[in-house]
Amino acid sequence: MKIALECKKIRRTGLVPAFLAGGAAAAALPIINTAVRTDTFAAMAGTPASILLDANSQMLAMLNLLLLTAGACILYHIEYADHALLKMQSLPARESGLFFGKLCLLIPLFLIVAVLETTALYYCGMRYLDGDAALFAELLKSLGFSFLLTLPAAALSLMIASVCRNMWNSLGICILCIFMATMLPTDNFIASLFPYALPFRVLPGVSADHVLRYCTAALCETGAVCMAEIIYLKIRRLSV
Amino acid sequence: MNMIETKNLTKSYGDFTAVSNLNLHVPKGCVYGFVGPNGAGKSTTMKMFLGLTQPSGGAFVIDRMSYPHSRLRILREIGSMIESPAFYGNLTGEENLDIIRGILGLSKSDVDDALDLVGLTPFRKRLARKYSLGMKQRLGLAGALIGRPPILILDEPTNGLDPVGIHEIRTLIRSLPDRYDCTVLVSSHLLSEIELMADQIGVLNHGHLLFEGTLEELRAKAAFEGHPDDNLEEMFLSLIEEDNLKRGEVR
Repeated sequence: MKIALECKKIRRTGLVPAFLAGGAAAAALPIINTAVRTDTFAAMAGTPASILLDANSQMLAMLNLLLLTAGACILYHIEYADHALLKMQSLPARESGLFFGKLCLLIPLFLIVAVLETTALYYCGMRYLDGDAALFAELLKSLGFSFLLTLPAAALSLMIASVCRNMWNSLGICILCIFMATMLPTDNFIASLFPYALPFRVLPGVSADHVLRYCTAALCETGAVCMAEIIYLKIRRLSV
Repeated sequence: MNMIETKNLTKSYGDFTAVSNLNLHVPKGCVYGFVGPNGAGKSTTMKMFLGLTQPSGGAFVIDRMSYPHSRLRILREIGSMIESPAFYGNLTGEENLDIIRGILGLSKSDVDDALDLVGLTPFRKRLARKYSLGMKQRLGLAGALIGRPPILILDEPTNGLDPVGIHEIRTLIRSLPDRYDCTVLVSSHLLSEIELMADQIGVLNHGHLLFEGTLEELRAKAAFEGHPDDNLEEMFLSLIEEDNLKRGEVR
């Protein structure tokens, strides 16, 4: 019900076209990359999936985070722009429901982007690197892994957007967080748990025991951000 | 029976008291006019009723439900428009009301009904951000009226309307208790405007309730205290001025 309402609210915001265009652009990247460097990739050791993911996933993760951030900012901008939030607060609905409705909208939008990217990687593997049936399974696992690891960043971006009345403030903070994540040491497990650093983890580069730890951490972080948002909304309501 | 009742309701921001020990009684089925100059505490009081601002002290009961215990149940009973109209600029007037309809669980016909009540039907497909100020005000009013709630809280609803619009909305507000058996709390900084709508009046100044009762009782009080009672505006100004002087003396 809440998702249906959020879907109605995003009309004419350009959010869906932005995600589709962003997803298409992100999907084009590995195709172009592989097409122009086919010989280099073919000479590399490893499975087609690991070669493609190593070569493209960092760039794709960055694009995904930028898209998620922009999406989160747009979702809350419509609430603040003409004081619509004030009306929502005076209706018999919990404000946390608004946050979860938006999160439930943002996640499928990201999933569409991730599926487009995975489809492009699969195409590259089959077309340029003689991929087999195992390629699809590996890419599917990677899709699930990166989807799970992006959830904390999606929730945190939305939380930042809900805190800032001015969209440019939330956009600035989120972009700072993304760039900060790229500067964190990659060999430090604790540092890599920063919500905006998690999406930069690539499944073939993560040891088997760390996969479970990362997945657990991502779920815990998402839950923690959601809890923090509920507490923040309560404090905000009681402090005015 | 009182639909809204407050007991020593107070709101302070640091050392500034916006509303002080307010004891308000809004009877069921009446139009209650809340009058006071800018900054008197009218909007703050209304915001407290909607849970948009937390009281610093005192309590209030709406339709026998106490705040904050029954906040969501209270909100279900109230249609409101506070300060400037709030809407989604990227949606049409009709779509805006459809969002409210979805939250309140109303039927599709309630949107048409609300649009019709405020005269926005011909502009239902226009984007809300392209509405004129008066049309935005009407949209805010439609958002409050949708589903015909038993209590309406309207903060200066005729702001930005032209004289014809003011007359239409005033007539509409005046007719609401009889048509839909609802109670209306409406604020204005003009006593002359409230006079044309309200059955009961509450005069607020610096967060203090100076008077509560009917217009006739206000006139009698003004005459008794030596204020001009033939011209409403002068009577109102005189009351406020006297209160301001008293407060100045206290300070």
